[in-house]
Amino acid sequence: MDRRNFLKISAVGSATAALDACGKPERQLIRFIPEEDLIPGVAQWKPGICTQCGAGCGLQVRVMEGEAEVTRKGQLGLMSMGLAKKLEGNAAHPVNHGKLCAWGQAGLQVTYNPDRIRFPLRRSGARGSGEYQEISWEEGIKELASHLPQSKPAGKHSAVAFLTEPLSDHRSVLIEKFLAAIGAPPAVEFEFFEQTVLRRANELSFGHHQLPTVDLANTNYVLSFGADFLGTWNSPVAQSVGYGTMRQGRPGMRGKFVQVEARMSQTGANADEWVYARPGTEGLLALGIAHVILKENLRPAASGGDAGEQIDGWSKGLPDYAPEAVAKLTGVEVARIERLARELAAHPPAVVMIGGASLAQTNGLANALAANALNGLLESVGKPGGIFFTPPPPLPDLANRKEGASVAALCEGVLKGSSPVETLLVYSANPVFASPPAWRVREALEKVSYIASFGSFVDETSSLADLILPDHSYLESWVDNIPESGTMQAVASLGPPAMHPLHHTRAMPDVLLEVAQQMGGNAAKALQWKTYQDMLQAAFGSLRSHPGSITAKSADDFWSEVQEKGGWWGAGSSLSVRTATKSTVAVKASVPRFDGDAQEYSFNFLPYASQQFGDGRHANLPWMQEMPDAISTAMWSAWVEINPQTAERMGIRQGELLEVASQHGKLQAPALLAPGIAPDVVAMPVGQGHENYGRYASGRGANPIKILAPATEAETGALAWASTRVKITRVGQPGKLILFGGGVREWPLEDRRR
Amino acid sequence: MGHRWGMVIDEDRCTGCEACVAACHAENNIATVGDDEASRGRALHWIRVERYYEGDFPDIRVKYRPVLCQQCSDAPCEPVCPTYASYQNDEGLNAQVYNRCIGTRYCANACPYMVRFFNFYNPVWDKPLDLQFNPDVSLRSVGIMEKCTFCIQRIKAAEIKAKAEKRPLKDGEFNPACVQSCPAGALIFGDLNDPDSRVSRLSKSSRGTTFLEELGTHPKVVYLKRDTWHDEQNA
Amino acid sequence: MNKTPEQINKDLLRPIYHATWRFYATAAVLAALVAAALFAWVYQMYYGLGISGLNRPVFWAFYITNFVFWIGISHAGTLISAILRVCNAGWRRPVTRCAEAITVFSLSIAGLFPLIHLGRPWLFFWLIPYPSERGIWPQFRSPLLWDFFAINTYLIGSVTFLLLPSFPDFALIRDRASGWRRKVYGIISLGWRGTPKQWHRLEMAMRIMAVAIIPVAVSVHTIVSWDFAMAPVPGWHSTIFGPYFVAGAIFSGIAALIVAMALLRKLLHLEEYLRPIHFDNLGKLLLVMSLLWFYFVFAERLTTWYGNFPGEMSVFWSTQIGRFSPLFWTMVFCNFLIPAPILAIKSLRNKIGWTVAASIPIIIGMWLERFLIIVPSLSYKYLPYNFGTYWPSWVEIIITIGTFAAMGLLYLIFSRIFPIISIWELKLGMPKKEEAPELAPAEAAAGQPQAG
Ligand SMILES: Nc1nc2c(c(=O)[nH]1)N[C@H]1C(S)=C(S)[C@@H](COP(=O)(O)OP(=O)(O)OC[C@H]3O[C@@H](n4cnc5c(=O)[nH]c(N)nc54)[C@H](O)[C@@H]3O)O[C@H]1N2
Ligand SMILES: Nc1nc2c(c(=O)[nH]1)N[C@H]1C(S)=C(S)[C@@H](COP(=O)(O)OP(=O)(O)OC[C@H]3O[C@@H](n4cnc5c(=O)[nH]c(N)nc54)[C@H](O)[C@@H]3O)O[C@H]1N2
Ligand code: SF4
Ligand code: SF4
Ligand code: SF4
Ligand code: SF4
Ligand code: SF4
Repeated sequence: MDRRNFLKISAVGSATAALDACGKPERQLIRFIPEEDLIPGVAQWKPGICTQCGAGCGLQVRVMEGEAEVTRKGQLGLMSMGLAKKLEGNAAHPVNHGKLCAWGQAGLQVTYNPDRIRFPLRRSGARGSGEYQEISWEEGIKELASHLPQSKPAGKHSAVAFLTEPLSDHRSVLIEKFLAAIGAPPAVEFEFFEQTVLRRANELSFGHHQLPTVDLANTNYVLSFGADFLGTWNSPVAQSVGYGTMRQGRPGMRGKFVQVEARMSQTGANADEWVYARPGTEGLLALGIAHVILKENLRPAASGGDAGEQIDGWSKGLPDYAPEAVAKLTGVEVARIERLARELAAHPPAVVMIGGASLAQTNGLANALAANALNGLLESVGKPGGIFFTPPPPLPDLANRKEGASVAALCEGVLKGSSPVETLLVYSANPVFASPPAWRVREALEKVSYIASFGSFVDETSSLADLILPDHSYLESWVDNIPESGTMQAVASLGPPAMHPLHHTRAMPDVLLEVAQQMGGNAAKALQWKTYQDMLQAAFGSLRSHPGSITAKSADDFWSEVQEKGGWWGAGSSLSVRTATKSTVAVKASVPRFDGDAQEYSFNFLPYASQQFGDGRHANLPWMQEMPDAISTAMWSAWVEINPQTAERMGIRQGELLEVASQHGKLQAPALLAPGIAPDVVAMPVGQGHENYGRYASGRGANPIKILAPATEAETGALAWASTRVKITRVGQPGKLILFGGGVREWPLEDRRR
Repeated sequence: MGHRWGMVIDEDRCTGCEACVAACHAENNIATVGDDEASRGRALHWIRVERYYEGDFPDIRVKYRPVLCQQCSDAPCEPVCPTYASYQNDEGLNAQVYNRCIGTRYCANACPYMVRFFNFYNPVWDKPLDLQFNPDVSLRSVGIMEKCTFCIQRIKAAEIKAKAEKRPLKDGEFNPACVQSCPAGALIFGDLNDPDSRVSRLSKSSRGTTFLEELGTHPKVVYLKRDTWHDEQNA
Repeated sequence: MNKTPEQINKDLLRPIYHATWRFYATAAVLAALVAAALFAWVYQMYYGLGISGLNRPVFWAFYITNFVFWIGISHAGTLISAILRVCNAGWRRPVTRCAEAITVFSLSIAGLFPLIHLGRPWLFFWLIPYPSERGIWPQFRSPLLWDFFAINTYLIGSVTFLLLPSFPDFALIRDRASGWRRKVYGIISLGWRGTPKQWHRLEMAMRIMAVAIIPVAVSVHTIVSWDFAMAPVPGWHSTIFGPYFVAGAIFSGIAALIVAMALLRKLLHLEEYLRPIHFDNLGKLLLVMSLLWFYFVFAERLTTWYGNFPGEMSVFWSTQIGRFSPLFWTMVFCNFLIPAPILAIKSLRNKIGWTVAASIPIIIGMWLERFLIIVPSLSYKYLPYNFGTYWPSWVEIIITIGTFAAMGLLYLIFSRIFPIISIWELKLGMPKKEEAPELAPAEAAAGQPQAG
């Protein structure tokens, strides 16, 4: 027993002894000496970074003194400590300007989630049985180290794989260095709503393998092909801030917003003009519009630049995309195509966006390239009111990261035995939940002999783990982030821990560093930092010599100021766009292929990122479960959106249980009569249907991913999650659809069928 | 002159993102009631985003309207409350004294805007979710009516701070939680007695209107109606 | 009626001395139902109003329906009796006491509902204006506070109105009883000796009370109507509500009185006292009220429809053709289409069975009327986004049933303590014969009182 421990115990000794007698376990908690000096009732504001999605908004965390049950050195006790009480946006942050989205607000419930894993666990029952036993960190780290090879076995594949969510910070550097040192392949990044197609398209069109930043605040006309840019796509807070300005922030000037999609999204609901186009024909429509602009000489073909040259027939004025032909395929009338073209040309700066289901088709890349070309034609690339690319901060480690394999490939290798995996490390990715059944991810993982997870929560993937080394929450650990988009400035955000950890957890990067130390050899040599904090200090230190938001006399001053401000942002804004890699591909826009016979499977099935749960990761937050979805007003539910006329034809009533079947599986969910969906399309939010994700998410609703075809985008191999066809049958019993809102019309007497 | 707090809600900016809803929950210790209770119509959302469709597929539009307590100057919820739990404070806020409320629910019936929420059961917070509680906001127990307070705890804190520093409050110096979070800037808060405040200026917009104006409740929330796009406007 | 005063005494005092097993069985069943309701109430207090079917937007439903309903029933008695007394309607004599008792009991039951429906019933006393150290008074502008005063005034008035003319009858029992009864009735007859002075005072008091109680009764139901009419809720905010509620109250009150009288007549063998003529007369009143009710409903609907205010129309259509229309049209049948023809035809009206057949639907219909005033308005209040609906839970249903049982039980107990017909008034109303009506000895000594 060290002195501090001795003091602690003697300080509370008598009280504990007295309370012990009370016989109530919660009364037997010992009281720890506070680890920090706090004035009760006085709020402190600490900078942080929101990690609820990839956008990387800056936080201000309101920290106040409070009484918490914490675990210290394996001992449960009571401690007065600084607790995060509220999250606000960091007003100085170039991405979110002091604003946050609903997920960002709900971040507190990640840290305080009752289902968090509180200490390291070793599997004690059968795999997936959920039986674990508590172990010490020393044991855990030793065990993990023992399952990792010092280096790649000569002549063979490494049997180690690392599976993670996409990371854009120094954790990815750490992981990469670690894997390289032990001879393992680069990490497999997985996210259901992946952005591979758009990054690839932007690389081809503009030379940036990156998501675009849209200068909505200065634009006069927005044409969005399915991008849920005010909800879940790209950098929603940054885009919403710009959108607000576009609407009413410029006296006398109000931009027009046109949304093209098959199911009215939360974003589409804001459109001045909402255009229905058949799913997957967005590229055709874009080129149809371009055709009109070219034909009427509203812009020269040359302004399409590299992006234009990617398109077959561009310089000839896109002869294959006359409005008449395009109208037939897209379902958008000729007159409207012509009018949209003229409006776009007449209201510069106009900007085109593409995202969501438009890209998740077999022809997704072609659609994206078409939209990019239209942007080029409208001369809105790298111009105010157009699109551009956030410059990277001068952090060399982050510049050249290697891409790993895909989850589909990983699983195929494991199942076929072509590249077996002995040890799999999983970090914040849940492919067992979020992958189509044909990938057989669960089966593949079951074949992996040892799985270690750094998860904070038990989920469908980490429940297969043999060892769980739980991470701190993002409010408890050092976090950094390099936003890929959402700002014109180069940004490197930094978030020191806003509060001490509640539980017996450790930050994943620190665990990796410790494992490397234990292993010695290459790994220890490659990862020389003692802690992730040291690594960040070194990395951020290099920014001092660059012009930016912080000028400091000494390295220490610089470091403390970066911590105080929540990051560093480069001086000035950059509108520059590189020229594309000159590998003209001569893409033709076409209609996509769908999985399932159109006769039998008569509906296009459109899963979409839920406003409440994203790809499902927020389903364990009660605030998100109970927050009404803006369009459906549903809480705690999953549902199938169907057009009211279609429903009437099929005799389907609101809330009644439907069976949705594809060639790959079926599910049941209640019907939601949504006036804004095409008659031959049904849509479902992704995010519910968890089997094993804590008390709030488990066993609730259905998971649309589980009936998706494994179809891929033709060029990039990305999952074409919007290309499945389904059939609908009535189950004949009511479903569980919980709506917050009643009527859907402001003037109910318009519709007396009540 | 004292303060008269008011809000402008720009429907043309509101995107239906519901950040305000989540922010209000986090700031005001609003309970989640769970799926069963939510299905019985007992969910508590001091601010909600009403969604109304206009037209039919495919020529369809949606109007989002964030609705919170309108802080009526002639609030129907006040005179009906037998215990003064609902009353008008000297800054024109419709205040709700939880401890005085005996749960008649009369105020909720009288409120035309449906912004008053009743605790049908004692709220349950699975530990350690309770660590998030904002210590500036009291918790409500069973049988009590609750509603948007314009984040009165923030108003009071700012006023006390300004007073201690012997200076007047600046416009925009503080904001309620929903306003602070709203990404699109659809919510604007401030002092209606200050003619130069943003909220005062915007409330005089030609798009401005108050909700259910015909009822004479004289709300201190002004809605700026959704705009439409005209080709000429920008030509 | 060819009864001697002695026979009258015998007939009307019999229930006080003798009880059949049927009495005990009925009382036991009713007591069990009341106990179930009390259990439900305690259960609700323990867990919260969540166990009811109430929700947002329907914050009021069964409990307030019952409240208004029982207040309405309470107009059976004291108001009717007072009016009849003031008009000196001779046929009233056998009717007044059972009517007044209905008032007292239904008012007591009604008074419970505002407590039952409170979110925190243990703090009900905050409605009472009493000086507290915090210097906080209730909100005198709140109709709920007006309710508090109105109901209490009416209750005190009604109890007085019931007790005043009971003293001579208590004295009658006292003088004929021995043992504990003599003691108890001795106390509760408050020293009635039947001196001319006492008769004079009783007479004066009854005259004053009969006049004073009428405006109180009218104000009570007007104030109850203002619970609704003062709130800007579509379907509630109406000037017609005061008289509409008062008329409705008298309407349902008479119906309840007819049913109660018919039951008492059968159970206590009072065929000789409660005769078809009484039912016929009450039936005429009931017919008038049915027509009046229909007129009010029609006027209220017509102006709403003509006004075509969107907020009102949502509620209007929901009751005419929408979700609540089955209840609405049932109500119209119960309150008008069934009773009005029956009561209009003299050959039916003067048969007790038929007046009862007309009254029972009215009781149901008037309960529905209150439900239809409250629930549709809250379900469809202004903003369609917040439209909702309501289903009662078992707790509300049991408490509702329990209050009907409580009414029955209180009435049974009452019939064991009070002569259910005012004996001395009945005797006074008898055609003058040679022998004076037998009065209590004290009266006899002092001579006859003036006709009251
Ligand atoms: N409504 C109402 N308000 C009141 C009063 C009232 O009667 N009614 N009474 C007033 C009075 S008289 C008082 S004294 C105040 C009391 O008000 P507070 O001083 O706020 O009282 P406590 O709740 O006891 O909380 C003090 C905090 O200190 C922490 N604490 C306990 N031991 C230690 C320790 O050893 N070190 C440190 N650093 N912290 C520790 C506890 O965990 C707790 O969080 O309240 C005042 N406020
Ligand atoms: N269980 C429990 N016990 C505690 C504490 C606790 O938190 N819990 N806290 C402890 C602490 S910190 C304190 S300070 C003590 C407080 O203990 P007390 O001093 O007993 O405080 P109060 O209970 O507030 O009672 C004060 C009394 O003064 C009366 N009073 C109010 N104003 C006046 C006035 O102007 N003049 C006079 N003469 N009387 C007045 C009030 O009516 C009340 O009866 O309790 C201690 N004991
Ligand atoms: S967009 Fe929302 S979830 Fe994503 S980082 Fe910003 S606040 Fe967090
Ligand atoms: S909106 Fe409702 S709760 Fe708010 S002041 Fe007006 S009537 Fe009262
Ligand atoms: S519910 Fe509470 S605040 Fe509302 S009227 Fe009743 S006592 Fe007043
Ligand atoms: S002002 Fe405050 S209390 Fe009111 S809705 Fe906004 S956050 Fe909630
Ligand atoms: S946060 Fe702002 S934009 Fe989002 S729903 Fe609320 S008011 Fe609308």
